[in-house]
Amino acid sequence: MNAVDPPQTPEADLVARLRAGDEDAAHEFFDRYAARIRRFIANSLGGAAADTDDILQETFIALADALPFFRGDSSLFTFACAIAHRKVLSLIRTNARRARLMLAAPITEQPTSHDIGANREFNRDLARLRPEYREVLLLKYVEEIGVSEIARILRLSEHAVESRLARARKSLRKSLKEEYGH
Amino acid sequence: MDTEKTEKSELDFTARIKDAIEPARGVDDRDLKNVFTARLKQVAARPDAVPIEFDGRRIEVRRGGTLLGAAMKNGVRLMHVCGARTLCATCRVVVESGEDNLTTMSGAEKFSLRWHLSVSPRTRLACQARVNGPVEVESVFPLCGELPNG
Repeated sequence: MNAVDPPQTPEADLVARLRAGDEDAAHEFFDRYAARIRRFIANSLGGAAADTDDILQETFIALADALPFFRGDSSLFTFACAIAHRKVLSLIRTNARRARLMLAAPITEQPTSHDIGANREFNRDLARLRPEYREVLLLKYVEEIGVSEIARILRLSEHAVESRLARARKSLRKSLKEEYGH
Repeated sequence: MDTEKTEKSELDFTARIKDAIEPARGVDDRDLKNVFTARLKQVAARPDAVPIEFDGRRIEVRRGGTLLGAAMKNGVRLMHVCGARTLCATCRVVVESGEDNLTTMSGAEKFSLRWHLSVSPRTRLACQARVNGPVEVESVFPLCGELPNG
């Protein structure tokens, strides 16, 4: 999956049509981005599949509400991810408050067809990372979003994103080495 | 040499993460698509300027703007010591009517109000509450007199 899919409609046109409440534009936006936004939410939650669809729905509703204030200084996908990020963060905070689980986001291991062998252990370590580390790794390496865009999503400086990425990589490598010796 | 090693390590890392993460699967949720479309239409149908009443003054504000921003643009003087960071709660307002026309409270706003012992659902922080429709609000700490720097 590329970070920026070849757009069927230039993004500025799509935004204008979405703002006007155009049904076709809404369907086009949904078909283009919903899967990636859902994957971002699912992975940010560390595999808590039960909450993913709720957060996805909340994100899309909040996105529709926030669209009139989209200034166009980032991509629409980045804007949607920023909203999803805040929804995920809010859920993690609520869960942490409830169960004092801030250091380990809710993990419900649900093996999928993709979750086999080396991937399984890697996925498990990824899910066990601190939520903010997992999120920054996913944005950088899976969604292939640049540091400046990640900074917008997470509302951090670029320098802070670079530092967090370095710490996240170190933490993941460390847990892989400790458990599996590679 | 070190740069090459770092680049190779970075590439390995990228490949591993991408390999481990399941590819994005299409979201086949017609209900959500319809909810999203309906919400977009609803938002598009809203007028851009919204009339509000602030401390008895009728003003027109941009939909989606904060109450504090609306007050400042229209010359309604309201205390906001922390600079809209939810810390001081001096921009507190009591919503007399139309509370459903304000955005819902964020966690930070709730925390701030609780911290300052203002937990009434009719009390909001003007720096956080955004206007979606007509409301009537009264400030708790209207600014009296002049500030040293105007």
